Amino acid sequence: MTRADAPAKTTGTARYTADLRPPGMLHAKTLRSPHAHARLVSIDASRARQAPGVHAVLTRDDLAGLAPTYGYFIKDQPVVAMDRVRYTGDVVAAVAAEDEAAALRALELVEVVYEPLPDVPTIDAALAAGAPELFEDAPPGIVPPYGTGASGHLRPRPNVCYEFRYETGPDDVWDSCDHVFEDTFAFSRMNHFHLEPFVTVADARPDRIEIWTSTQNPFPLRKELARVLNVPESRIRVNVPYVGGGFGSKHNCKTEPIAILLSRMAGRPVRYCLTTEEGFLTLSQHAARIRVRTGVMADGTFVARESEVLLDAGAYSDGSPLVAEKAGYRMAGPYRWKHIRSSCSCVMTTTTPAGPFRGFGATQTTWASESQVDMIARRLGMDPYELRVKNLKALGEPFVPGESGIDSDMAEGLDLVAGELGYHGRARVPNRGMGLAIGFKDGGGVNKPAQARVKVSTSGDVYVNAGTVEIGQGASTTLCQVAARVLGAPLERVSYAPIDTDVTPFDQGTNASSGITVMGTAVQRAAEAARAGILEFAAGRLGCAPADLTLEHWAVSLTGELHPLAPMIMQVFGGTGFEFSGEGFFKAPNSHDAPLEAPCVFWETSWAGAEVEVDPETGQVTVLQLVVSGDVGKAVNEQVVRGQDEGAAVMGLAQALFEEMRYDGSELLNGEALDYRVPMAEDLPPRFVSITQEQGHGPGPFGAKGAGEGTMLPIAAAIANAVEDATGARVTALPLTPPRVLTALQARSYE
Amino acid sequence: MTERITIAFEVDGRPREEEIAPSTVLADLLRDRYAMTGVKTSCERGVCGACTTLIDGVPAASCSVFAFSVDGGTVETIAGQGAPGAPGPVQRAFAECGGFQCGYCTPGMIMLATALLRAHPDPDDERIRSWISSNVCRCTGYQMIIDSVRRAAELLREEAR
Repeated sequence: MTRADAPAKTTGTARYTADLRPPGMLHAKTLRSPHAHARLVSIDASRARQAPGVHAVLTRDDLAGLAPTYGYFIKDQPVVAMDRVRYTGDVVAAVAAEDEAAALRALELVEVVYEPLPDVPTIDAALAAGAPELFEDAPPGIVPPYGTGASGHLRPRPNVCYEFRYETGPDDVWDSCDHVFEDTFAFSRMNHFHLEPFVTVADARPDRIEIWTSTQNPFPLRKELARVLNVPESRIRVNVPYVGGGFGSKHNCKTEPIAILLSRMAGRPVRYCLTTEEGFLTLSQHAARIRVRTGVMADGTFVARESEVLLDAGAYSDGSPLVAEKAGYRMAGPYRWKHIRSSCSCVMTTTTPAGPFRGFGATQTTWASESQVDMIARRLGMDPYELRVKNLKALGEPFVPGESGIDSDMAEGLDLVAGELGYHGRARVPNRGMGLAIGFKDGGGVNKPAQARVKVSTSGDVYVNAGTVEIGQGASTTLCQVAARVLGAPLERVSYAPIDTDVTPFDQGTNASSGITVMGTAVQRAAEAARAGILEFAAGRLGCAPADLTLEHWAVSLTGELHPLAPMIMQVFGGTGFEFSGEGFFKAPNSHDAPLEAPCVFWETSWAGAEVEVDPETGQVTVLQLVVSGDVGKAVNEQVVRGQDEGAAVMGLAQALFEEMRYDGSELLNGEALDYRVPMAEDLPPRFVSITQEQGHGPGPFGAKGAGEGTMLPIAAAIANAVEDATGARVTALPLTPPRVLTALQARSYE
Repeated sequence: MTERITIAFEVDGRPREEEIAPSTVLADLLRDRYAMTGVKTSCERGVCGACTTLIDGVPAASCSVFAFSVDGGTVETIAGQGAPGAPGPVQRAFAECGGFQCGYCTPGMIMLATALLRAHPDPDDERIRSWISSNVCRCTGYQMIIDSVRRAAELLREEAR
């Protein structure tokens, strides 16, 4: 099934925010801090205001009447720096000018006096006794409601903005364990590297603010902008054209506040488009340190797991509390435990803020958890495959008490991947090995609502009105397919309406692999409501019951006889016709028994198998084959889910082998495209197999489950497990660079 | 800084004469003056290849080419390959095989594939990988792009028959 966005995207006619040029548009650029941590002593922009081509300059002196800090749970990030700067790249001032060059020249005229403060480059530095604090006073924040066993804590200690804790089961089971293993893992951070930059075009009039922006969550963004700008939400209209990738980064305020404020000051539309280098200074994935203590019986039965995840949140909280919640919650993996206790803290450092990134905490926890499963197997003299199968939860078993049942047969997926890889009975070749790993996360967001509207015109053309952003994942096609199927309409008659928060029904955001289950169900229900209205209308005309009718190709069928709808409609409503419309809504029901206040919508499950060859001289790891699989329940669009699984897997492959933001203290060393290595086609393993599983247990339309994040999760652990299988050496930090692997090989030979 | 120069060149078969500043970058000229927004810019360092056009038939990152250097030459962009409703063979192959997701790398990838298939009408997978490794796609994981290029080769051969 060809994607609906194929004609626009393959001909280059798809319009993105970065392509928009409203008449009179100005260009914005920002001055960024050269210091990792400094007090802002003074800032004088008077010369910049006089510079040629300059229409507006924004500094901390222009924030009167605003609530000038934003964030998710914690409002700690200023629109422009106020009392201090907290990382190299923190925004200090912004200029709108006739073109970008004029704006950049004007920025050179902004005079700033900094008083450098000691920086806090790492988790260790931030948690050290007497460490400098990034915030003197706790910024305003909230803790969302949690259910049984879970809790959240604002600023539990200095330089920690949020901590999530979860516990279930009696902790005296530790005494019954035959073995307790404790291991610590390090997780490096990546940049999202979406190709369309962060970009906003804003047209702020005195009575009305309109923006076009590259965002994943237009409705929460609108709400946050209204709070920051102190205007009613109804005065802000957010339009979302095609979005050129996000991978989690394009949530909430990014380029929007500055674009709007400059537009308001200048009285002209303003385009604020970041460079790739600025993207590196805007948001990243979370680096992490993960300590896992696991108690097991001699036969390999898992008993208890206690873990502490420390996320490097960077300088501002952004989505970190939510990521912490998920990282803390997901540490248990798909296994059976008598006791789980986990905590996850967001540690503030003077580096680029970290936030949502594909996998959302689960990438970090899967790396640790699935590495440790193999380590435990080897310590017990068991095959890691057998150890997994022994402890996997069964289909339908709740993840933890109060949660929904697991909607994949985890062992079936593992079997499939192990078989495809050739894991069982593999020949032992020196320096070659195989590894398996399982990805497992709750999907569909926490307590996430979605609304949709489906309209059908007189001639049977269908409009899907939904807030899920087409960011590349294929949601616009898939959601149209859902409506088409309910209405018996050919897909080419269904269009996905552009997103405009004035008219599009509410959606919480394009995230959490939630498109097909959460929004998909809302669209399905909206289409069903529209169909009910159509059938009721037709039944009234034909003098039968709606249940006697079926709808197909814009005609109703009554005992085999077809009655076209268009003439019927015009007979009643006149020649101008009519539109049938249906509304749909979905949200998982609230439940205080569920640790996160609502049971998870679906379980995003994935499996990976890798075969590697390790060069004992250099530590170079070559992936010979990579097999990945996700269970999508039932694929609505096979091409779309395959694309999601493969794209996520290759991102995971890069994280495993080479891709990372490298720091020297607080200084980012490779924050630009030339130095920052992302995967290229040549990085694909010689054998790369992706298998879409349709196990059929999904809760979404037609049995669907979500995709998009799952296959990223298990890749790094599968490769590290394969390296240990090949060499006996265990690497506990990412990426598996030659020096790191070589060190592990040498450590092994000293043992 | 106020110096202007005049260049004459061809864009997608159409002759153009422009007065430009010597510092004008080709991608900006195409996007800003001709509204050819199918030419995408992303890294603006000649790394990602989103802005790939064919200059005298050779793929080049138009973000890193001065406009004056195409004086007297030809530039081919995605707009010359076809339009919605009348897509060219390479575009059709990418649509059919799902060789795109967010679409931001797609025009550059299609131009790169076009050049590859002119030079090598029947490339093997290794050659395809090698060629398209000059451009970044952050979404697909590349396999479906490789499939698309292979399919495009078939379609071009069918068309040549």
